[in-house]
Amino acid sequence: MNPETSPPAIMIDLIKVSKVYSPDVQAISDISLTVAQGEMVFLTGMSGAGKTTLLRLISRMEKPTKGMVDVAGIDVVKLPQGNIHLLRRKVGMAYQDFKLLAERTVADNIAIAMEVVYRPRSFIEKRTRELLEQLDLTRKYNTRAGELSRGEQQRVAIARAVANNPEIILADEPTGNLDAETTGRVMDLFAKLHRKGATLIIATHDRSLFQETPHRIIELRFGRIRSPHAEDEDDGVEAPADAPPSLQEAAQ
Amino acid sequence: MRFWAVVLRHTCRNMLLTWKSQGMTLFTVSLSVLIFSFFYLIYSNALHFGEELDDDLRLVVYLDEEPAPPLQEEYRRKILKFDEVDRIEFISRQQAYKRFEQQLGENTDVLTGVPTDFLPASIEVYPVRTLDSLSRIKRFSDYLQTLPGVLKVQYGKEWIERFYAFIQLMRVITVLSGSLLIMTTTFMVAHTIRLTLFSRQQELELLRLVGATSNYIRMPFLLEGALQGCIGASCGLGALLLLFNWITLQFAGPATINLLPLAFFDWPVVFAIIGLATLLCVVGSFSAIRRFLHL
Repeated sequence: MNPETSPPAIMIDLIKVSKVYSPDVQAISDISLTVAQGEMVFLTGMSGAGKTTLLRLISRMEKPTKGMVDVAGIDVVKLPQGNIHLLRRKVGMAYQDFKLLAERTVADNIAIAMEVVYRPRSFIEKRTRELLEQLDLTRKYNTRAGELSRGEQQRVAIARAVANNPEIILADEPTGNLDAETTGRVMDLFAKLHRKGATLIIATHDRSLFQETPHRIIELRFGRIRSPHAEDEDDGVEAPADAPPSLQEAAQ
Repeated sequence: MRFWAVVLRHTCRNMLLTWKSQGMTLFTVSLSVLIFSFFYLIYSNALHFGEELDDDLRLVVYLDEEPAPPLQEEYRRKILKFDEVDRIEFISRQQAYKRFEQQLGENTDVLTGVPTDFLPASIEVYPVRTLDSLSRIKRFSDYLQTLPGVLKVQYGKEWIERFYAFIQLMRVITVLSGSLLIMTTTFMVAHTIRLTLFSRQQELELLRLVGATSNYIRMPFLLEGALQGCIGASCGLGALLLLFNWITLQFAGPATINLLPLAFFDWPVVFAIIGLATLLCVVGSFSAIRRFLHL
């Protein structure tokens, strides 16, 4: 078979995935989604639509209530607890709540991701400086993460997620606290990683990020993937009857 | 190699983060080891002393008459009938007199005019080492007393009874202090590790999220426990050595020191105590990890 004509390998594969939080909050229901290797996807939808839950399922921070999740050839649902590091080393995630260590320096926060895979000190330092430069944080190298503004913290979280050049990058609202110029820098960094072959899923409700993008946009609504043809029909839509209270509130 | 370098760095960081409780744990471990090894040192010295006494331990059976060779054979047969012995020696009245004379040394003139057969003949029975328990020696003595022609049996009964009671007491104290060592070290180490786990909870969660293996996360805590055990035990034994040297210096009189030849632990025992304390601390650390670190 000619490799040029063969379809790209599947990197993320979700089949009829549902997640119900206790007691009965349906976060996502029956989602099937395939993301090819090296693809960049924008995941959009209003607050409470299930974007974060979807990313958490892919990184095995949550287990689905139903369905199958396959990431980089790993069956995430059946992955034993002791082998989770195998998945997490392939996935770099920038969390919405940043998950930074407030008492540690910016450099330490970024280095931690590289330390766990035993990168040499010289490499860690070089890579940290490189990322901080790209994200306009060079001067903050030795600043404690707790002393940074939210926008700066967000960029440190992004730097840590991409530090190991992971195969998959999941970014949850990566530009939520950034001004236009810094947003541009972050998107440039993502574009660079994408060109290098990384698979990216960027969850955002900032339309400016994907308005003119050539990449795939997936919209979530009430925990389901919204059909691309339903754009006009859904204006002023009400939450389905079986949608959980939180999602109905989000819709209102 | 890099793994251990990282583990060591994390361990040092852990220990610095909770240095106060680390200090308390080290102090407790040292004190527990000091108490245990102090009593164990006394016990082992007493045992050593007992072994030396065993070499001289004999039952002296005084006879009313000097036995003729056939009667000597009869006594030998009856003694061996009760139990195996190391050796049996018949001491005639003349031999007893000569020994006494030698013991008097320069003062032999006190024996002037005393008949050479004034001391009774005796049989000296040297029990084999298996007869070292007091109850057996007592039973053996009681049996020898029943033999015909026996006036008296002597074996330093009171002294030996006291000595064995002391050995028993030391054995109990050593076991109790050993139990104290086990409880305090495991509890204190588990408590300190738990504090470290709580103080680093956020970081541990993050480590898991960025792809750290379970060993990467666990190992610094196990190493921390091992270091506490090793350093604590070394300090405890060091303190005991100082105490030992002080005691031997204080009691280094011409008479006492010869009576009680004290010796410190051999190197294998020192390493065994340090190894045991280290193992106990690792167990304490492991139990804390199992309870509070959900990987």
